[in-house]
Amino acid sequence: MSTNRTRHGLAAATILTALILTVAGALVLAGCGSDAGAGGEASPAASAGPITVTDGTGTTVTMDQPAARIVSLAPANTEIAYAVGAGDKMVAGTSYDDYPEEATSLPKIGDFANPNVEKIASFEPDLVLAAGGIQDKLRSKLEKLGMKVYVVDPKTYDGVMTDITNLGQLTGSTEQAQQVADTMQKAKDDVQAQVASAAKVATFLEIYSKPLMTAGSETFIDDMITLAGGTNLGATAGPGFPTFSTEVLFENDPPVYIADSGSMSKPGDISKRAGFADLTAVNEGHVYVIDDNLIARPGPRLAQGLRELVKMIHPEAAAAP
Amino acid sequence: MTRLARTSVWPGIALSAGVFVACLLVSLAFGPASLSLGEVWHFVTTGPVQGDLPNAIFWQIRLPRVLVACLVGAELAVAGVILQDLFLNPLTDPYVTGVSSGAALGATIGIVLHLSNLPWMTVLALVGGFATLGIVWMAARRRGRIDIFVLLLAGVTISYLASAVVTVLMIRANQDMYAIVYWLMGSFSGRGWPDVEIALVAVPFMIAPLFFAREMDILLQGEKRALELGVEVERTKRVLLVTAGVLTAIAVSVSGIIGFVGLVVPHIVRLLVGPGHRSLLPVSLLLGASMMGIADLLSRTVIAPNEIPVGVVTTFVGAPLFVYLLRRGRKG
Repeated sequence: MSTNRTRHGLAAATILTALILTVAGALVLAGCGSDAGAGGEASPAASAGPITVTDGTGTTVTMDQPAARIVSLAPANTEIAYAVGAGDKMVAGTSYDDYPEEATSLPKIGDFANPNVEKIASFEPDLVLAAGGIQDKLRSKLEKLGMKVYVVDPKTYDGVMTDITNLGQLTGSTEQAQQVADTMQKAKDDVQAQVASAAKVATFLEIYSKPLMTAGSETFIDDMITLAGGTNLGATAGPGFPTFSTEVLFENDPPVYIADSGSMSKPGDISKRAGFADLTAVNEGHVYVIDDNLIARPGPRLAQGLRELVKMIHPEAAAAP
Repeated sequence: MTRLARTSVWPGIALSAGVFVACLLVSLAFGPASLSLGEVWHFVTTGPVQGDLPNAIFWQIRLPRVLVACLVGAELAVAGVILQDLFLNPLTDPYVTGVSSGAALGATIGIVLHLSNLPWMTVLALVGGFATLGIVWMAARRRGRIDIFVLLLAGVTISYLASAVVTVLMIRANQDMYAIVYWLMGSFSGRGWPDVEIALVAVPFMIAPLFFAREMDILLQGEKRALELGVEVERTKRVLLVTAGVLTAIAVSVSGIIGFVGLVVPHIVRLLVGPGHRSLLPVSLLLGASMMGIADLLSRTVIAPNEIPVGVVTTFVGAPLFVYLLRRGRKG
């Protein structure tokens, strides 16, 4: 009887454990799945067997084993590779890789706009991390030479997290990638909580001043402005990075004016531009410059950029505990 | 020649002045911000008012931008007339002298060094333009006279050289690439009163060539013939080349490189009023200003709040007009 009871107890414990494991596993998987934004979709992590992920262009990338030799064709991709702990597998980067410090000493494949296929091949990478647009066209050439190509081209903040977890899988460092994604998720959750009850604030983000250019819709910058409790005036000009009419900027008179540091504009200069003294953002001292690397590079530092953005768009909410 | 001088130039000038005033008014009346004609008129009469945003749209954004566009259009058209007729080459535009490429190099250096737009980028563009003019000048000077053909070749060569350096800088400065590309494409976006002031410096240089109209008419028959007719050829060439160089450098430093106006407006005007410089110069000035004003109006309104690069518009507006006039001219 007692043995019987023990046996039942053991069986129950086993079933319970199995149940917990299954639920936990499902939760982990669901966690991965929920990260899937515009950037692509993650597939179940597997320690053995082929790894399959979907990249920013919707293309399925399959690798039989985790990448061992990685070439990055964009500074953001290099940042992600180091952040997920695949820095030791990097064999080459671009001339513009400046973060983290170790990346600067990598061999270079040349410039961002015109990567040299021969040069890339000479490093014998098994995985090439490309950016969207012009670089997407390299894919077929590189694949013919036996390399796998993953295109990082996120259109949302979540999309960047997806790319990070995907690259974690492709490089065999799923856990560290998940930690990075969690940090980004934490920043997003914190910021969302801060601005939950705040009214949306019209925000203009200057990418360049002559001609006036902004971040339009379908960009992760636009998504981040929205997450930080703003409405992006630039989204009215269409997708990508469009030019923007100064007259329309004045007509809308956004209370917050943020210049990307890449525009080389300084808050003092912006206030001194003809007519700008009449803008609400200038009058009330809401003209800012944000570090280009924190909002324009689709990498882990966007978390920091998001926290910076909320300080500019909702200073009162950001200051509250 | 004598017949040409006797023909009255005033009807043509008066007519093109009318066209210019009409273009100026239309450019000021319309824009991407929905100001009504009544409001615009109200702002014109009240003058600039601090703290009134719609007023600032008119006085600080629209008006200076329209003025800069018209001034640059006039500068390029006059420079185009001078250079086409000095080089006796219909394909010449203000940019062949290398001045624009030199200015582009100056501006590119400003962008790469992250200097502020005003005044430094403009100053560097001016310095680049004048430096190129100086180099080309030295190359073309032989025994006290300027060899026009050496000047043309030297200009084109320096132009290529400067462009090559710009390209190298563009590749090196990946982050700033779009800033350089946009500068090279040319635009009037964000231009304000300081830019108007710079463009206004060119006004005396737009008017000066009028005093050389007779010499320019004679020079069309070649330098030898002009010498026989008692023209001070070298002095005239010197003055006109420097004038065209200054006009181009100032225009380019304010707006970047905007094509087609400097090439096509002089040809259009020749088809309309003939080759005599007493009307060709002023009419080109007025119609160059008109064309650039209208091109910029279209650039800032057609797909607002986006803008079309103004160089694209000048080509779209100018090319069909030019082809039409060429065909009409041939039939007549």
